[in-house]
Amino acid sequence: MDEHKDYTGSKLGMWLFLLSEILLFGGLFILYSMYRYKHPVDFHLAAWELSRPLGTLNTLILLTSSLTMAFSIASLRRGDYRISKLFIIATIFLGFLFLGIKTIEWGAKIEHGIYPNSPRLLGRSKGEILFFGLYYSMTGLHALHILVGLLVLSIMFFLMIRGRINKDHCVPLENSGLYWHLVDIVWIFLFPLFYLIT
Amino acid sequence: MASTGETESVRARISFYEDQGQYRGIFSWILTTDHKRIGLLYFVSVITFFFSGVVLGFFMRLEMVAPGGTIMGPQTYNSLFTLHGIIMIFLVVIPAIPTIFGNFFLPIQIGARDVAFPRINLLSWWLYIAGAITVMVSVFTGGGPPDTGWTFYAPYSLRTTVNVPMAVFGVFILGFSSILTGINFVTSTHMLRAPGMTWKRLPLFVWSIYSTSWVQILATPVIGITMVLIFLERFFGVGVFDPAKGGDPILYQHLFWIYSHPATYIMILPAMGIVSDVVPVFARKKIFGYMAIAISGVAIAAVGSLVWGHHMFVSGQSDFADILFSLLTFLVAIPSAIKVFNWIATLHKGSIVLEPPLFFCLAFIFLFSIGGLTGLIQGALAPNLHLHDTYWIPGHFHYIIFGGMGFGLFAAFHYWFPKMFGRMYHRKTAKLAWLILLVGFNIFYFSMLLLGWEGMPRRYYDYLPQFRTLHLTATFGSWILIAGLIIMFANLFRGLLKGEKAEDNPWGGATLEWQIPSPPPTENFEEIPTVEKGPYDFK
Amino acid sequence: MSYGTYFWVWAGLIILTGTTVSLAGMQLGRWAIVLPLLIAGTKSGLILSYFMHLRSEKLLIFKVIIPLVMAVFLVFILLTFSDVAFRLGGAK
Repeated sequence: MDEHKDYTGSKLGMWLFLLSEILLFGGLFILYSMYRYKHPVDFHLAAWELSRPLGTLNTLILLTSSLTMAFSIASLRRGDYRISKLFIIATIFLGFLFLGIKTIEWGAKIEHGIYPNSPRLLGRSKGEILFFGLYYSMTGLHALHILVGLLVLSIMFFLMIRGRINKDHCVPLENSGLYWHLVDIVWIFLFPLFYLIT
Repeated sequence: MASTGETESVRARISFYEDQGQYRGIFSWILTTDHKRIGLLYFVSVITFFFSGVVLGFFMRLEMVAPGGTIMGPQTYNSLFTLHGIIMIFLVVIPAIPTIFGNFFLPIQIGARDVAFPRINLLSWWLYIAGAITVMVSVFTGGGPPDTGWTFYAPYSLRTTVNVPMAVFGVFILGFSSILTGINFVTSTHMLRAPGMTWKRLPLFVWSIYSTSWVQILATPVIGITMVLIFLERFFGVGVFDPAKGGDPILYQHLFWIYSHPATYIMILPAMGIVSDVVPVFARKKIFGYMAIAISGVAIAAVGSLVWGHHMFVSGQSDFADILFSLLTFLVAIPSAIKVFNWIATLHKGSIVLEPPLFFCLAFIFLFSIGGLTGLIQGALAPNLHLHDTYWIPGHFHYIIFGGMGFGLFAAFHYWFPKMFGRMYHRKTAKLAWLILLVGFNIFYFSMLLLGWEGMPRRYYDYLPQFRTLHLTATFGSWILIAGLIIMFANLFRGLLKGEKAEDNPWGGATLEWQIPSPPPTENFEEIPTVEKGPYDFK
Repeated sequence: MSYGTYFWVWAGLIILTGTTVSLAGMQLGRWAIVLPLLIAGTKSGLILSYFMHLRSEKLLIFKVIIPLVMAVFLVFILLTFSDVAFRLGGAK
């Protein structure tokens, strides 16, 4: 069996899967753009209620997690297994941090009575209702993807301990990295669209 | 994958049926990673769902044979046509050719031993079954089967108390299955072609599966998210499609059709691929315009992704969008027409061999052309105003989907049957079934076109007396059609059990699958071939 | 790729993040939509090229897929806008 072909094929398969993920979020981005076009002022008003500091912090966290992810793959390729595992742990830790902050944000909103179908939200303008509908849907779907990513990375960690992932067989970790970076990229777009439109 | 004690060459000689692999009995099927067995798993599943869809259709036509209630109430009728649509579209027509014949033959046709990701291939089938079961469960739980039509339009789908959530969840799972299959086929075509198998030597069936797979990867996620949004709307009230909260139901239609129109190309492109492979064999002549057919498939996939608004001309979308989508719709007819011209040019002055596969392809060309031409009529804005949501529309799409994809599927059954099963069916009976099908089909669906033209609305349980005769005719046609289906499948089934042993290459095909034994061995090829000829080089 | 390269890419991403956050406070009119998206696009480009190694991929297919998916998405959004932005009587 041609190993190089297998490696490239495996990567290609992962990339194709990422394309489908882009279009999955894409449907929501289409809705966002239509509704923002229709209700520019309401979106602007609603965005004030999101915490820009927390959003920025989360962005920095995720960007750093991409760095640690890239480092873990680079060290795996060099055979520095201990360092690679440390960087995976770092990535997972940062991912959990992200989710923690997200939970705080959502929690605060829900406590204030701003969530889909809440009486308080329904009393607001249509544009604001749509803003928060999209906010919860999009950051929710994104958070779900982070969660799945953390699960996958944990599995990669264990496979590395077992030696099933190593210098000569690094494609599972690389593919996990591709997934993780994509989830970061989605957030890179979500951040300005929800937090910075003031 | 391990077989105890068997050498490579032995495994290369016994058929894939005899080589059970590491599991025994039914597990050697449902836990297989052999693309041929997976193809057959789909074969059985898809045919089963096809028959369920036919039964639903039969009862729909029985109800519609006379005005007023005949054998059921209106709610039941609404659920019947919804289920008929969901089953036929998501469980039969979209998967059928790629999952049955793409799985079985794409690897062989490119000179490979299997697809790029055999285990994901098995997962695709399991997801397909899971999706199907989820849809079936929605029929019997949570308020009963959906009554929204297979299109689940908001806001009705958000409010109706039947089990929409489970049905759309089933569709979501099926979408995932489709995406994974698409990924598998694109990767396989890029990475696993045998030496000498350049892109220009690929059989046109492979080209068609390749184009289709791209559409599966890029378009399916959009319906995925749309189904998720119905869920979120129903359970959390997010508001994106709910007018009371500022949502726009027309945006639902956009998201829905962004997938569902390209889905029709997922349905038809593989069938066109089959016609492109079969016609040269039975004309004993190279295909006319190989590159034109290959590229036109890609063009159909591309341009076909830009026309979805033609389902929405009367929805309230802007006039500008109406005009734009109508123009694009006319453009997409061009590459389809190119294919039809090229097939006919291939037949012209060929040495025609009158066998069942060719019969079904000829019917395809005829029926698809009618479907395509009616599509142009409804793609023009002014006629659409009158024809939208009338019987013209199901008349049109049954010509394309059933007359096109369906007959293409039947052509594939009759073409590849000897290769898959090592036996031959009774050819005269196949031709008889074909004739009955063709007659029944046209009586049935042409009546629909006429009904629509006269103004009969679709998805209506009752109708005015002036439509009686055509409804009666249509129902009568449906019975002839069903008779044809029964004869055709019975003939194939009998061939499976008692047919004569078939040679390795009964039709004289030049593509790689005909150069290996019937049925093929597990690893397909004793040695990976080096390809030096084109797929239609008959020497 | 070297650790160093990754670090500098990360630094660039942080700087771009800072830029886009500062821009948010300003009155930019029309540019208020375009600039953040451009910056986000640049950040994504950096991640795709360096962290995701697209820069070092040799096969044509890898070079094609991101432009392809962007084109598909763009077309979907533009055609949908052809409806939403042109409805008579104001989009409601």
